[in-house]
Amino acid sequence: MSAGGIASGLSGAGIGLRAPHYAQVLEERPALAFVEVHSENFYAEGGAALAWLERFRAAYPLSLHGVGLSLGSVDALDPRHLEKLARLADRFEPELVSEHLCWSSFAGRHANDLLPLPFTDEALGHVVARIDAVQERLRRTILVENVSSYLAFAESTIPEWEFVAEVARRSGCGVLLDVNNIWVNACNHGFDAARYLAAIDPRTVGEIHLAGFERIGDRLVDTHGARVSDEVWALYRAAIARFGERPTLVEWDTDIPALEVLLDEAGKARSILARRSREAPAEMAS
Amino acid sequence: MTGLAALQRSFIEAIDGEGAAGWPGLEVYRNTARANLNGALADTYPVVRRLVGDAFFFEAARRYARAHPSASGDLNEYGAHLAAFLAGYEHAAGLAYLPGVARLEWACHECSRSADAGPLDFTQLARVPPARFARLRFSLHPAARLVRSRHPIAAIWQANQADRDGLPERTQGAEHVVARRENIAVRVSCVEACEWDFLAALARGAALGEATSTLGEPEAAHVLGMSLARFVTEGVIAGFTPPAADA
Repeated sequence: MSAGGIASGLSGAGIGLRAPHYAQVLEERPALAFVEVHSENFYAEGGAALAWLERFRAAYPLSLHGVGLSLGSVDALDPRHLEKLARLADRFEPELVSEHLCWSSFAGRHANDLLPLPFTDEALGHVVARIDAVQERLRRTILVENVSSYLAFAESTIPEWEFVAEVARRSGCGVLLDVNNIWVNACNHGFDAARYLAAIDPRTVGEIHLAGFERIGDRLVDTHGARVSDEVWALYRAAIARFGERPTLVEWDTDIPALEVLLDEAGKARSILARRSREAPAEMAS
Repeated sequence: MTGLAALQRSFIEAIDGEGAAGWPGLEVYRNTARANLNGALADTYPVVRRLVGDAFFFEAARRYARAHPSASGDLNEYGAHLAAFLAGYEHAAGLAYLPGVARLEWACHECSRSADAGPLDFTQLARVPPARFARLRFSLHPAARLVRSRHPIAAIWQANQADRDGLPERTQGAEHVVARRENIAVRVSCVEACEWDFLAALARGAALGEATSTLGEPEAAHVLGMSLARFVTEGVIAGFTPPAADA
């Protein structure tokens, strides 16, 4: 494939693997290009969690997706958290390691949620320096995911899509482009999702995420608790047309359904990727 | 303070607070953050939750989050102080056993994620001359924890596992408990008071001689003659440091 600077060797569709499906996935070994787990769920010295991960690793290519590093916080990077991630990555040698373009903590107090950054020059410089530090410690390129947001800071001076593109350009990290989050933000903040895609350099996109949102009050909320919406599938087709066949992951975290439902969603992504492959077989790395 | 720092401070204070904040949309973050913390607490303390019911548990969880805010991006570390919180929680005053059960559940949580350790090296142990036994330092398995209570916390814990009816085999009396991981499953069992004191001394780093010195003579004989071998066989004791050679 032609992933340019951020190639991981992965292609095709995978699922976010959560505890209710662990045993069934290992027993049935559904055809998946890779599985992705939340890194923090495996922050352990031993025991059941790591035993599961050993078995997943033996069966599938692996992506470690962190939710707690608090990349954008003004607090110092938590050295213990980073060491746990480094140990996990050293031991399991995942194809991909990713984190979120957000912050979670201030003065040592953690919200344990993906909080939005203001899109300012200060935040940009800060988060780029933090990504540098993480990539240096892990001795690898990481992917950083755009998050959904439910408010816009008056302080922001840079459009979100330019902020994301600039983070990747300056730090050399890849972009884990969450197409659902783009759609949620486009609706919540009133921008054109196509403009967002157009701003992202295809060479920086290392993975795509898909998930379902729910409407709560007058907002779309990225609950990861529903099927991927038709609008997001359309945006995904547009993303694949622009970026090429990027490894694609379907996530589901609340009201987790039967495994078959996730596999069905991953199958839809797979057929979109396959169509792109047939239509653009000559896509070449330049 | 820079603009980014000031914004992050006021945002996190708003998430902690109640009522309207300066940002419309903040309540989505507040709800998600609370759901994540409460979910982590419920995962770690299923027996406490079952004993008190959901309404009580999640109200206590809400107050706990204020008293002991999360201090890590790793939610496995959240909830370490629940036993102490419950001990001082007025609405739990009638449930004297509850803090002990919470201590046991935290111990099990730690066991579930602690390091593995191979079995004790008997070949090397056999090389220790008997005259130096008293200075041997046995160590507990990294995934073993000791908990004791004036209440039958292990019986309550056992009776409130998912497949049990909630009726403990005993409802009164102190228990001395060892929680440990066997392969990947966490097991909880009771030991005698003298055995627990002995293991607690080993956990503090005491040598064999010191660990038995505070026990009565029959207890020391029992611990050395029976219990020590059993703890090694069961894997509660998983290593030792040989005594230095005599000077």
